[in-house]
Amino acid sequence: MTHSSKSRTTYPRSHEPIAWSLFGAGGMVVAFVIPALALITGLLMPSWPAEILYLNLLGLLQSWVGKLALLTVISLTLYHTAHRIYHGLHDLHVEGPAVGMLLLFYGGATLLSALCAGVLLAI
Amino acid sequence: MSADPVHSNPKSSNPINRRPYVQPQPSNWWLKNRAYRFYMLREATSVPIFAYALVLIWGLFRLSQGQAAFTDWLALMASPVMMLLHLLVVAAALLHAYTWFDLTPKILVLRFGDFRVPDLWVKLAHYGGFVLTSGALICLAYVFLPGV
Repeated sequence: MTHSSKSRTTYPRSHEPIAWSLFGAGGMVVAFVIPALALITGLLMPSWPAEILYLNLLGLLQSWVGKLALLTVISLTLYHTAHRIYHGLHDLHVEGPAVGMLLLFYGGATLLSALCAGVLLAI
Repeated sequence: MSADPVHSNPKSSNPINRRPYVQPQPSNWWLKNRAYRFYMLREATSVPIFAYALVLIWGLFRLSQGQAAFTDWLALMASPVMMLLHLLVVAAALLHAYTWFDLTPKILVLRFGDFRVPDLWVKLAHYGGFVLTSGALICLAYVFLPGV
């Protein structure tokens, strides 16, 4: 009658539900926001007067709405891409220690999100 | 290998552990046909988009350091390498959006009583949302960022 305790160690709780929720939300953000945002930062912003642009961006990012919007977009984009790269490497047979790969990708996305939050708070 | 969930079933009372033959898969399996190559291309869109997220965080960091630092970052964005990255990011994000809106009707199943919202409507709603969001973002940036 040791089956139940044994199966608990054989089938650990999956990280997939949380990882997939973040991946899914990030997929929406990447689809809806990133094309326009990349056009703005890559094509439009370099052609605008730097001084006025700086002051206007500062104003936007000193507001809580601006901070929260940027953090949402950047962190969900990070989780989305980390999830795809993690699974893509598996598809390419690039293998590493299971826990190490999870920590590297989902932990890395979390760490970079925290870094982004810290930078936003400092503005 | 007793903890291997693929090859042994802990709930089975059969004392014999089956070791079925697993066909080895070459790591270039995805080059073999068009659908696999497109799948890999879709997954690869994440690489430039991840790099872009880092560029954005770097930009926010430079902005937090003051105007001179931000102007440096802006000049970096005008460099050929960053221009190329941005083009790649736009292309990758558009390909992602196209494949993502193909998937959403399969995940987002809306029912009202006996009526199921057709896949095409869900897809078109997403394309409409895409046009509205992109238009709104670019217009807002145009109106509020370069002006006084």
